[in-house]
Amino acid sequence: MSLGDTLRLLRAKRGGITPLEIETATTLPKGLYRQMEQRYRAVGDDASLRVLADFYAVPFEDLWWRLDWPRKALSRALVVCMRDKSPITLYLWNGQTVTGLVQWWDLGAVQLESADGELVVVQRHAAERWEPRAPEDAVA
Amino acid sequence: MAENLWVLREQKKLSVATLAGRAGLPIGLIMEYESGQRGVDVRHISRLARALYVEESEIKLRSDPRPGAGTLERQPHREAVRPPVEPTPTETARPPRDRALRPPRPVSTPRPPLPARPSQITHVQDLLGRLGRPQVEVEAELGKPLAELDRVAASHLLVKLQAEIKEGKFPERHRAYLPEAVDQYESRYLTAAQQAGDVLHFTLFDNTAVIGAVIGFGQYNITVRLADGSETALNKLAIVSYTKPAAGKEPTV
Repeated sequence: MSLGDTLRLLRAKRGGITPLEIETATTLPKGLYRQMEQRYRAVGDDASLRVLADFYAVPFEDLWWRLDWPRKALSRALVVCMRDKSPITLYLWNGQTVTGLVQWWDLGAVQLESADGELVVVQRHAAERWEPRAPEDAVA
Repeated sequence: MAENLWVLREQKKLSVATLAGRAGLPIGLIMEYESGQRGVDVRHISRLARALYVEESEIKLRSDPRPGAGTLERQPHREAVRPPVEPTPTETARPPRDRALRPPRPVSTPRPPLPARPSQITHVQDLLGRLGRPQVEVEAELGKPLAELDRVAASHLLVKLQAEIKEGKFPERHRAYLPEAVDQYESRYLTAAQQAGDVLHFTLFDNTAVIGAVIGFGQYNITVRLADGSETALNKLAIVSYTKPAAGKEPTV
């Protein structure tokens, strides 16, 4: 799960607090939180992550490592695997692991076909990590 | 008693031109009648009488010349009889205008066409990209590089390319890689499942399972009808995955 999706989930657990209210309650610059949550590329640095970790009462490391797994990186990996007709493995946040060929993907979900022919639709935000990763210049 | 034509005309306070216009006769002819150079033609007497509101018999067939006036000659232009105007000092000082002394006008040569604007070239390249046509190919058609087009030629080329785009003469649009919002595969999948009444097996973030038929969905949630007939809305944020059970393994809803 990307940092943005994680922040979205944490905010939902807080019961509808708005990004503006979070920025007001913390020392984050105006607009930064919204960008961290909504941008598809990784936004944020150690200082801002520490502020948010304190705010949500979660470990800093639990937010920090997610900067390396932004939504764009998942899109890139899906494009490459779909193009090369090679399987991708998704490590989901409930502990499941799903492997299969990419049938389609879009903004919210990806459909994989497993080796036994089962089709499963995975919500993109549920993918914590994936394998293989694609380099940034893998897709023109 | 018959009267001279010019006397009758002046009594009526008409000019020669006005009389000529009313009678439908040439001015010069009227002047010749008034000067006595020519006797009034019997074919014209009635016209002149109507124009002057007199009887035909009142017009003398040959008028006597106006006293003190010489023989009138036909004057081609009114300006010729105007009295000379005293020239103003300025006009006096002005040298006489002589066409022969004027410098010859420069012969107008056609202006060379202006080169195409950089924005036109950029626009052309953008349209070629959208049409999927290589620039080299178009330059070969034109016989010159795009950069050497003049402004008018570039404008014509733009019009032509825009018309081609309007007509849809471009290859199938390349699927946008990023951002991902252009496709709606999940939406189509759920629509098909809803229309077919498919039962889906949802796995939530805490590994609980929800099995139900899709009866609606939105951007952030999916509403399903459970086996007991109740309906529940699943927040997509809480969903990890869902699948359609294989045939024969479908639970009854």
